[in-house]
Amino acid sequence: MVDNSHNQELEDLREAARPCFQCGICASSCPVFRVAPEMNPRMSVDSIITDGQVPAEGNEWLCAYCLMCEERCPMGVSLTEILMGIRNISSKEGKAPPDFVESAEALLARGCLSPTSNRSVKKRVDLGLPDLPQPDPEHVKLIFEVTGAYEVLEANRVAVKEEAE
Amino acid sequence: MTTRDPKDSSSESTKVEVVSTAPELRIGVFPCKCGKNIGAVVDIDSLAEYAKTLPGVVFVQVNRYTCADPGQREIEDAIKEHRLNRVIVASCSPTMHEDTFRKAVKAAGLNPYLCIMANIREHVSWVHRDDPDAATDKAKNLVAMAVARAATLEAQKEQDVPVTQAALVVGAGVAGMQAALDLADAGFKVYLVEREATIGGIMALLDKVFPQNDCSICILGPKMVDVAKHPNINLITMAEVETIAGYVGNFDVRVKQRARYVDFEKCTSCGDCVEVCPVDVPSRTDQSLTWQKAIQIPFPQAVPSSYFIDPKSCLGMDLIRCGKCIDRCEQEAIVSSDTDHYIDFEVGVIILATGFKPASPEKIPRLGWGRYPNVITSLEFERLINAAGPTEGNLVRPSDLTKPTSVAIAQCVGSRNIDTRSGCSNFCCAESVKCALLIKEHYPDTEVTIYYQDLRMHGKYFEDQYLKAREEGVKFIRGRVGEIQQYPKTKNLRVSVEDTTHNKLQLLEYDMVILSMGAEGQSGNFPLPISCTADSFYIESHPKLRPVDTSSAGVFICGGAESPKDIRDSVIQASAAAGRASIILQKGRYPIEALSARIMQDKCNRCGTCVKRCPYGAISEDGTGKFTVMGALCQACGTCAGDCPPDAIYMPNFTSEQIEAQIEIALAERPEEKIVAFACAFCSYRGSDLAGISRMQYPANARVVRSMCSGRYSTKFAQKAFELGAGAVLYSGCHLQTDCHFQTGNHWMVKREPRIRSWMKRNNIDDERFRVEWVSAGEGKKWQTIMSEMSEVTERHKKSQPKLKKPIAKPKVKSKPKAKPKSKTATKLKKTKSKSNSTKKNATTKKKTTGRK
Ligand SMILES: Cc1cc2nc3c(=O)[nH]c(=O)nc-3n(C[C@H](O)[C@H](O)[C@H](O)COP(=O)(O)OP(=O)(O)OC[C@H]3O[C@@H](n4cnc5c(N)ncnc54)[C@H](O)[C@@H]3O)c2cc1C
Ligand code: SF4
Ligand code: SF4
Ligand code: SF4
Ligand code: SF4
Repeated sequence: MVDNSHNQELEDLREAARPCFQCGICASSCPVFRVAPEMNPRMSVDSIITDGQVPAEGNEWLCAYCLMCEERCPMGVSLTEILMGIRNISSKEGKAPPDFVESAEALLARGCLSPTSNRSVKKRVDLGLPDLPQPDPEHVKLIFEVTGAYEVLEANRVAVKEEAE
Repeated sequence: MTTRDPKDSSSESTKVEVVSTAPELRIGVFPCKCGKNIGAVVDIDSLAEYAKTLPGVVFVQVNRYTCADPGQREIEDAIKEHRLNRVIVASCSPTMHEDTFRKAVKAAGLNPYLCIMANIREHVSWVHRDDPDAATDKAKNLVAMAVARAATLEAQKEQDVPVTQAALVVGAGVAGMQAALDLADAGFKVYLVEREATIGGIMALLDKVFPQNDCSICILGPKMVDVAKHPNINLITMAEVETIAGYVGNFDVRVKQRARYVDFEKCTSCGDCVEVCPVDVPSRTDQSLTWQKAIQIPFPQAVPSSYFIDPKSCLGMDLIRCGKCIDRCEQEAIVSSDTDHYIDFEVGVIILATGFKPASPEKIPRLGWGRYPNVITSLEFERLINAAGPTEGNLVRPSDLTKPTSVAIAQCVGSRNIDTRSGCSNFCCAESVKCALLIKEHYPDTEVTIYYQDLRMHGKYFEDQYLKAREEGVKFIRGRVGEIQQYPKTKNLRVSVEDTTHNKLQLLEYDMVILSMGAEGQSGNFPLPISCTADSFYIESHPKLRPVDTSSAGVFICGGAESPKDIRDSVIQASAAAGRASIILQKGRYPIEALSARIMQDKCNRCGTCVKRCPYGAISEDGTGKFTVMGALCQACGTCAGDCPPDAIYMPNFTSEQIEAQIEIALAERPEEKIVAFACAFCSYRGSDLAGISRMQYPANARVVRSMCSGRYSTKFAQKAFELGAGAVLYSGCHLQTDCHFQTGNHWMVKREPRIRSWMKRNNIDDERFRVEWVSAGEGKKWQTIMSEMSEVTERHKKSQPKLKKPIAKPKVKSKPKAKPKSKTATKLKKTKSKSNSTKKNATTKKKTTGRK
């Protein structure tokens, strides 16, 4: 199956990356790069420009979306858009890291990523605050359906399984 | 603006043109074969036969190469023999040979403006090679259009104005000084106006100057003295130009000079006053790194060599408030009664050398300048390393006055950043390498690192500098500094940068960081409309061929005011500007545009729209509500005429009447198939020529109407064409934003588009039948594409109207001749004009009968 939207997404990324002149201001501003040298936003942009492809290593999944790089980029490159775009494309190809797939499964099953702790429930009672609404997995399912997240998740489930075998 | 009419002052002009006053229209048509270039496609003989039938045509002669000597001689002979008073050469593009033929016509005693061309090569034979019949038809039609236009052509006097043989140079940095000295040496009077209390500009503040790293003030100082002493230079410091009126050759200048409060003739620069002045203010010269007094001199070598008082910081020059310096000065040089005053003078030319200002580091907070004392700019460094500076040449950290052992230099600060200035500042790479070398020279043990993105050491001798720096152990690391942080206790700095060669983050500690600052433009605040780039540098008339001219005649630019550059380039440009200016000064007279606009007072409704349209400020109101065009300022773009509501502006030889006559002829037959394409002379028409030169084929249904500028195309031309049933109409100009040869003509043209479209809507004319396009002289391909696409539009339009549709409205035949401006030339031509008016009517009607075979 030829997925044109996929090509279009990559084309959009190339368009967004084009102004970059590889100065390195983004990398030197990135708090993640300081502790995880494999995550270099400049290199992610570079692979889009020079290889025209989504980098295979998947380092973009480490980005914390703090927006520092984008704020300082002298060419106005939308780095977070590029980094998110890279994640979107690679997850459609079933290349999302297993822990992200796990999180998605958890979200689907429980309707939320981190359930409210007993402690905070108690605290709310003490403070006389109303109960929080219970997460409803049905809602999340609906969202997964309309956004096409199901297919993405499925692609990654298959990939995780293959990996295991 | 003054309103004296340059045309009066030139009435004593030595060149008196022969102005044709022959009452009878006698047109000669000269179809050219251009060897096989035209001859192989267009049936020239049939074209010649056809031309003979056109109204007013009394002579037709075919030639193999009309532009060659024999061809030109034949035109001259024919003019004499057949008493021709209009000449049409049907050959190549007017951009190619209009000048040639006008000269030939002039040699025969006919006014050159009475010769025009029909472009049957670039617009016909070269682009419709495969359809000789259609090509021949189109060529005939183009000749008929030219004949219709020729009927009302006016002879124009070639005029000039006298030139005041003096120059104004604004800004006395190294560029302004050089320009002033060159002009003064050539014998012209120069008024050199400088804003500051001394001349010298940025160069006077520098220590050493790259690429040889020689002492800046040692080479500049003597030049400054030369300026001060030159008998032809009138140096006016602490002054700015207040107003400028007039035009090339005759600018009236008013300069406002601020009070100096010290008589520079008497002041011996002893500095006694400084000892008693109680006020301390941050030093301008030393970039606020130290203090100075309210009475001050910028630096010891300042020219004029005299102190001055800064009235903002002075406590008061009287004995009650302070007045200590007056008491102290033995020369009695202090003049407390001094006031700001105006100086008026006249000049023929102006050179703008106002320089740039170093970019402000305040706009880039991540680098910490202003918060961290040991982050300094390159200009601050220049003062610190300068023996005449605040530390007498000792490089110290501002925080604790200790010598730094490690220094980082950050490149591209304030440049190559879309938030500050997107361009490269040209001199900062070499500046950084110079800084590094100076540090190494004074303190060889200091560790110096340059963080660069692209090291642009492109100039002569620059690479040697770079090599030397590497040999001296300066480290070069590729990567732009992301942020600088300060260690609170030591005030040392942590520089974070990605070494992009090794993809590694570097977090290193330095004692001091120098920011290599770029340049910011500061042009555009001058009381003359000279266009500027978005980042405030003056725009040259042509980036390659006229780099120091501006679009205003007689105004030149040089140095940092034009773009960021180093000293050598500034001086080169300054000498170039002086050379260009002296061409005007030396001749003593300046030719002015013969085709300048005229306002027909009896039609003008005093709305004043034209004043806003004119890019050159050529139209003014005389106080009584009467608007007039100053001929010497007008460049004949016709933008004013394009928007004049009562059509009261007369554009000689591009009159509304002539343009409409061409539209009528173009649409006389099968109008629904035709494209009426308006093209401006400087971009789009040349683009259409290029399509021809490149032999790009397209359908033969377009008829190009040429005008000086797209600003000339009024809404009514498109309306007229559609009323006559045109299949499609194109308005094509130079590219927005800045390509327009006349600065803003295209901007005004595009503003008319919505009006045309809503008119079309009301009259049920398909939107796609009108197009506004930007075609540059290099876009032949684009012209071809547009022509082909628009032909598809006319095809569609034709199909949607199975029967030949009648024009929406019959062309109105004007009975009364147009009102004419009351100029000498016009009165002289009265006869010819009213006569030709009626001939034009014939042209239309005759065409209808003879054309339809
Ligand atoms: C830190 C630094 C270091 C540099 N080092 C070097 C070097 O080593 N070698 C080198 O070749 N180049 C160097 N340059 C570049 C050099 O300074 C410029 O090339 C040069 O100064 C340009 O000269 P200019 O006369 O065009 O402009 P400026 O020197 O800026 O002079 C412009 C003058 O016009 C005056 N002025 C401005 N507006 C008005 C107005 N409206 N009315 C009246 N007067 C006005 C100003 O007061 C000023 O005196 C350096 C630049 C900087 C910032
Ligand atoms: S800061 Fe911007 S221009 Fe510089 S490397 Fe990163 S993305 Fe490219
Ligand atoms: S948004 Fe991501 S890549 Fe950019 S600086 Fe923050 S963590 Fe780094
Ligand atoms: S009068 Fe002004 S300049 Fe003179 S000493 Fe006093 S404060 Fe200084
Ligand atoms: S708008 Fe153009 S034609 Fe009209 S006065 Fe100004 S320069 Fe001349």
